[in-house]
Parts: sequence; structure tokens; C-alpha cells
Amino acid sequence: MTATPLVELRGIYKRFPPDVRANEDVSMAVAPGEILAVLGENGAGKSTLMQILYGVYRRDAGEILVDGVPVEFANPGDAIRHGIGMIHQEFMLVRSFSVAENVAMGTAPLKGEKFDVRAVAADLTALAQKFGLGVDPAAIVEHLPVGVQQRVEILKLLYREARLLILDEPTAVLTPQEVAGLFDVLRALKAAGKSIIIVTHKLREVMDISDRVTVLRDGRNVGTRITAETDEPLLARLMVGRDVLLRADKQPTPRGRSRLSVADLSVAGHDGELRVRGLSLDVHGGEILGVAGVDGNGQSELVEALFGLRPVVSGQVALDGEDVTRLSPAARRTAHMAYLPADRRNVGSVGDLSITDNAVLGAQRTFARFGGRWRDRRAAAAHASALIARFGIRAPGPDFPAGKLSGGNLQKLVLGREVARDPGVLVVEQPTRGLDVGAIETVWAELLAQRAQGRAILLISAELEEILNLADRIAVIFDGRIVGTVAGAGADVAALGLMMAGRPVAQYGAA
Amino acid sequence: MILRLERRLAPASSPRAIFFANAAAIVAALVVGGLLFLPFHVSPLTAYADLVGEAFFTARGFGYTVTEAAPLILVGLGTVFAWRSGFAYLGFQGALLVGAVVSTWLALQIGASLPFALFLPLALALSFAAGGAWSGLVGFARARLGGTEVLVSLMMNYVAALLVQYLVTGPMRADGDLPQSALLPRSTWLPIILDGTRANIGIFVALVAAVIVGLVLRGSVVGYELIVTGLSPRAARFGGIDVSGRTLLSSVVCGGLGALAGPVEVLGNQHRLLDGVGEGLGFVGIVAALLGKLTVVGTVIASVLYGGLTVGGNAMQRHSGLPSSVILVIEALIVLLVLASDLLRSWRIVFVVRQAA
Ligand SMILES: Nc1ncnc2c1ncn2[C@@H]1O[C@H](COP(=O)(O)OP(=O)(O)OP(=O)(O)O)[C@@H](O)[C@H]1O
Ligand SMILES: [Mg+2]
Repeated sequence: MTATPLVELRGIYKRFPPDVRANEDVSMAVAPGEILAVLGENGAGKSTLMQILYGVYRRDAGEILVDGVPVEFANPGDAIRHGIGMIHQEFMLVRSFSVAENVAMGTAPLKGEKFDVRAVAADLTALAQKFGLGVDPAAIVEHLPVGVQQRVEILKLLYREARLLILDEPTAVLTPQEVAGLFDVLRALKAAGKSIIIVTHKLREVMDISDRVTVLRDGRNVGTRITAETDEPLLARLMVGRDVLLRADKQPTPRGRSRLSVADLSVAGHDGELRVRGLSLDVHGGEILGVAGVDGNGQSELVEALFGLRPVVSGQVALDGEDVTRLSPAARRTAHMAYLPADRRNVGSVGDLSITDNAVLGAQRTFARFGGRWRDRRAAAAHASALIARFGIRAPGPDFPAGKLSGGNLQKLVLGREVARDPGVLVVEQPTRGLDVGAIETVWAELLAQRAQGRAILLISAELEEILNLADRIAVIFDGRIVGTVAGAGADVAALGLMMAGRPVAQYGAA
Repeated sequence: MILRLERRLAPASSPRAIFFANAAAIVAALVVGGLLFLPFHVSPLTAYADLVGEAFFTARGFGYTVTEAAPLILVGLGTVFAWRSGFAYLGFQGALLVGAVVSTWLALQIGASLPFALFLPLALALSFAAGGAWSGLVGFARARLGGTEVLVSLMMNYVAALLVQYLVTGPMRADGDLPQSALLPRSTWLPIILDGTRANIGIFVALVAAVIVGLVLRGSVVGYELIVTGLSPRAARFGGIDVSGRTLLSSVVCGGLGALAGPVEVLGNQHRLLDGVGEGLGFVGIVAALLGKLTVVGTVIASVLYGGLTVGGNAMQRHSGLPSSVILVIEALIVLLVLASDLLRSWRIVFVVRQAA
């Protein structure tokens, strides 16, 4: 590069107590009008590096230069003033505020003494239209599905007119169509001279969108490549240190009896409106039923109702023929049901507690003595260590607070815990969201191993590729109903896409 | 040169850091409080020497200190139990009074005819049960009707205070000029543990309760479930924990613990029920728990220090003639600065020397 980079990092070091080396001597640069991808395994230090650049963390050593001038960011406000904006991996929205209020916070021009939320709303509508991000500025954030919340974050950034946009795994929660839309936005921004750093685990996206790619491993920059001069297998090897074959090795498994059966189920959302409308499905032992659909079509409400976390309006849920519609989550766990929630930070784990304490959540009475009354810490710690080893969780030890794990590592912990429980029926929601390719391999293999052992698995995923790779049957959900079920083998992607958009397609190859 | 607050990379959370932050806060409070002595021509050093010496280094004073500390520990334990499980109970003053009423009644009714070894456990158990029912009402209201426990529990303090007033002016009033119950039978008084002091076995009751609460919260499955409930109700529900059941349990136990301060105060100190018994203990105990960072050990330490401050402050006042408001100011300063010292664990003060650009 001959021109001065917009932003340059030189020799960044960052250590977390007790002894986590998150970044070691990392240097990288972004030119104006360039899209740089940052790639790396879970826990490689990507989010840490980005948060240093955004002024959230302080570096231990190294330099940050903007337009060739060294800068100090004491907080994100400083970064924003230098034109650097960031979307976090976990959303940073005020849940009880409206979309416009969230965007207005800290940015809106003051008119008199009050936020001029209405002006913001008008600007937002224009922005949203321009970039094809359908968001209602008046909607309250906590009522929005995660996919839409992500769009709000993107809008917030666009609204702030950042020169450098840092996006930490922005595509993890988007549907393929939305990803394509986002990438159009990013290309338009690039054409307008803005720079973009995008953190992603998806090699396809790296190839698709980036000009250059920087790969982190164990906190170090192990290589920066020009995207056009590399390919996916090369990048995967650079990142993981070995060859990765992202293909599920699915053995034929005899289909068992029906274990989870849902009949005519209706469930209401937060606002009392029906989100699941008379939905029926059956999951058999030894099979994976994939539920494909665009986020926000009732998937979350469905799984929450299945696990007893949300009341059922009408209909029935049966486990092994027993009606469990009114049972508590604890009773469902006892009946050998396990659940991997999409929101691993707030629902699947307790950030302030240690890995050990999280490893027994839901089975606290199993890792106990005296008839489940007294905690057996040694057994719990051994269990946690076993999970760490089996799923390759990167952590200093079982006493480490779960909230400080990187996103992907926390997911491995929560999934590992649920799977380790030998459930008869396993409901998994977005199981590989935010995982690196190596970890996805592990998780897919684990789900298939569970299937081979005769477990019934209900897989909810916005990742069509995941469903195509794993599911024996694919049920497409739209607007709270199953609009069609097709066999997984040889499913037609185009037809699935149509069904996911609510277009009823003549059923074929029905299962 | 300018002073600037700079955020630490991570909060300093080692035991050493916590100790130094708290010690620095106490010293700062004493220094600032010491300034108040100067108009009275009292040397802060001798005054503080009086305070510490009396409260912790004389048998008599230390006896008073532990007597003051015992009810604070019990209320503080109730606070730890409730707040750690997400139940923001503030009704300990009321619970204490309920325990005081129950134990007074029991002592007057059958205290004289029971051996003390039977009477004490019975009095404690009944106080715990009555206080638990009292605070459990608030928990039940929250579980059933929703709403917040903060206001309801606060208001119930007034109900309990008026109830005591009614009892000592009406049904339980003894002959005499003052609105108070009859003197309790001597056999029901808490025995003195150190000859020549006022220290009674109330402190043992408090310490045993502390050990039990500590064990339950740390070691039992129920304790784990309570703590998860307090940290994240959503994760708790997901983990199969009966959140409203656990909240209800927590609401019962916390009031029960607070109510134990009633018998400790009545049987140990006053030896009768009177209007204003245990005044303020139900709130100071909450403060002690907060100073102790909602841990059992921290609460015990904070309660003893607080008790010592009260006792030593009285002595200091007697010797030096300082007004008692001075000691109250120092107490408040300590509370404020210790709570504020948490800031120094996540921020540090740096001296920035301006350099020529
Ligand atoms: N606040 C913290 N305290 C201690 N350790 C931390 C903290 N934040 C992150 N870490 C550790 O630093 C390492 C890097 O974490 P980081 O979040 O940067 O990884 P990542 O590359 O973004 O991973 P992922 O792909 O899973 O999001 C991890 O081992 C993580 O456990
Ligand atoms: Mg990350």
C-alpha cells in the first residue's frame, strides 16, 4: 500500500488477568475504501482487538494511528469522534427503548433540552429505505427478533457516519437474503470511500466481500492475504492449523418411534399476539428434523413453549407419548428433554458464575450428594474440566467466569453441557451461530453422534447450509406455521427459499 | 500536573486489593471526621485511641461491642440471603419486632416453668417462624401479584412498630408509669459468657446462624438455585429452577433470620418489650451487609466493627465531651467512603504531568 492507511495498528499487546494473552504483537492496517476481513478461531482475540480499536479496552502496548497520526482512545466516544464505529458481537441496545431512541442516544443533535427523536426517526426511515433495512423506528427493541435488532445496530452505525465501520460477526444472525442485502450496503459504503473491518467465521463471506483478510491465531497475526490471491482451504488451514472439511458425515440411521410430538400448537409472543399458529410436527428417535425459516417467524416462541418457558395458548406437546404441555422446565428435563437456547449469554448461562457452576446448571441435583441436596463440587469441577477438554473450550480453567469466555467458547460450553446430559429429545436453536469452522465441525459431529444413538433432535437454524447438511427432514416455518416438509436428502434450495418466503410450494418428496 | 481517573483493565478483585481499598476508606473517614474535633480542642489521635481501645481492647468494652454486633449480624445475614437471591427485602425492622413480641410473649407465658436449654431453642424457633411468615407475606404477594417488594416491606415496618406500641400500651402492659411489658423471668435471660461484661450468648446465636447461612449458600443445591435466581431469573428458569418458589423461600428465610435479632435483643439486652425496642437495628444491619459486600464473612466483620464504633464512640464522647452527632457523622462517612471505595477497584487515580506538545 502506498497511500496512508486510514487506521493502522502496530504491535498491539493485550493480556487479561490471570494469564490470558488475548493479543500479542498484532499489527494491521485498513486503507480508505477497503474492506478488510478478520478471521480466526473462537478465542483467537478478534473481538478484543476490535474493542481496543474502538476504545473499549486499553492496550498493554502498541500504537494506534488514524490518518498516520498516533491517537489515544479513552473510551468509545473518542473513537467515534475519530470516525470509528463498531457493532458488537453481542448487541448493545437498550431493550426497553424504541429503535429511534436507541439511535438518538448520544448522537442526536440537541434541540432545546430534549432529544429530537422525531427528527431521528425521519432520518432513520430515509436511511433504512436507502439501504433496504426495513425497521420501524418506533418499535421497541426488546420486542424485535434478534435479526431485526442487528439491523438496528447497523443503522445506528450508518447514522453516525463513521469512516471506519467495525462489524463483529454481523452476519451470524442474518438470513442468506439479509446477508446479501448487508453486503450490498457494505459495497455501497465502500464505493463512497468508507473503510470496513468485518469479523466473520464464514470463509465464503470473506471471499465474497473482502479485499484483504487478516488471520489471527492464539492472539497473533499469522498472515494477511489479498483475498483474490487466496482460497477457502488455504484460509482454513492458516486459521486452524490443519485441513478442515466442512461436510457432515451422515450415516444412515434407522428411524425410531416418535419421541417429540407437537399437535396444533399456538403460542403468543410478548405483545400477546399469536406467533405460533396451530403448528404440528413430529420428531422421531434417530432423526434430525430441521426447522428452516427466516428469523422471527415464531421459532423462538416455538422452542420456548416446547421447553416450558412460555405458556401455551392451545394445542399439545407430548414427549414419548406423555402429555407435557403443562409441565415445568425442570419436569421436562427429568423427562429427558434438553434445550440449547439461541441466547447463550442471558438464558443459557450465568456470566457471573464460574464455568463449573454453569456446567451443572439444569443438573444441579445430579452433581450433588445426599439425595441431591448438597453440592458435589469435586464432581462438578471434574465435569466442567471434561467439557473443556471434550469440546476444546479455550479457558484458563473451570473456575474462570463464564461471562468472560469468547462468544464461541461459551456456546461450546452450553451445548456441551446439554449434550452431556444424555437427553432423549434435544432441541437446539442456532447451535453454530458464531462458531469457527473447526468448532462447527465438532458441533455437527456431536449432533450426528447424538442422532446415531437414537436421540430425537429438533434443529432450529437460520443457516440453510447447516440444515441441508444435518437434517433428515426439513420443515419450513413461516408466520408461525409449517408451510411444508421435505426430505433432507436432495432438497431443492430454490424451492426451500420460496417456502421460507411464505410461498406455498407443492409438496414433493414428502417425508 | 492534573489528577485524572483512569479505568483499570479489570477491577482489582484480589483479597489484598479489597482489604486495602476498605482500609483506605476507613482511614480517610477518620481523618475527615477528625477535622470535626478541632473546634472542640480535642486531639483526634487521643480521641481515636480512646475509641479503639475501649471498643476492642478492654474486656468490658468488647463485651458491649459483641452485644451490639449480634443483632446486626442476624439482620445482615437476612439481607445477604434475600438480596443474593434477588429479593430486595427492606422489612427487617418489622421482622425483628415480630421476633421480639413472640419471644417476650413466650417468656412471660411459660419461660419461668421451662429449663433454659428448652426455652431458648423454642423461643428462637418460634421467632424464626413468625418472622418468616411476616416476610413471607411480602414474598407471596410478589410471587402471586407481581409488583415490588421494596415498598411493601418498608411499609410493613410501620405496621410492626404500631403493633408493638399497641401491645405495650394495651394487652401486654405491666403496672407502672411506662408503656412496657413486665420484666421477663430471670431464667429466660441470655446467660453472660464473660464475667464482668455484658457479653451474652446472643453472639453465639448470631455466629451459628452465620455458619449455617454460609454453608447453605455455598454448599447446598438450594443455595445454588437461590444465587442463580438472583443473578439471572431467565437462566434460572431455563435451568429448571422454580423461580417463584425459590423467591418465596428466600422471602421466608430472610425475615426469619432478621426476626432472630428480636429475641437476642429482648432476652439479652432489654429483658422486656418496650416501645422502640431495637430501634434502627433493622436498617443498620442492612448497611453492615452492604459494607460486607453481601458476603457472610464480610457481614460479620462489618457488624463487629460497627458495633465497636458505637461503643467506642460513646466512650470517646464521655472522655472528651464531644457531641454525639460527631460520632454519627463519622459512622456515616465510613459507610459512604467504604461503599465508594469500590470505585477505586475499577478506576485508578493517575497523576498526569503536562508535557509540551
Ligand atoms: N474481560 C475478559 N477477561 C478475561 N479474559 C477475557 C476477557 N475477554 C476476553 N477474554 C479472553 O480473551 C481471549 C480472546 O477473546 P475474544 O473475545 O477476543 O475472542 P474472539 O476471537 O472474538 O472469539 P469468538 O470468535 O469466539 O468471538 C479468550 O480466551 C477470552 O476468554
Ligand atoms: Mg468475538
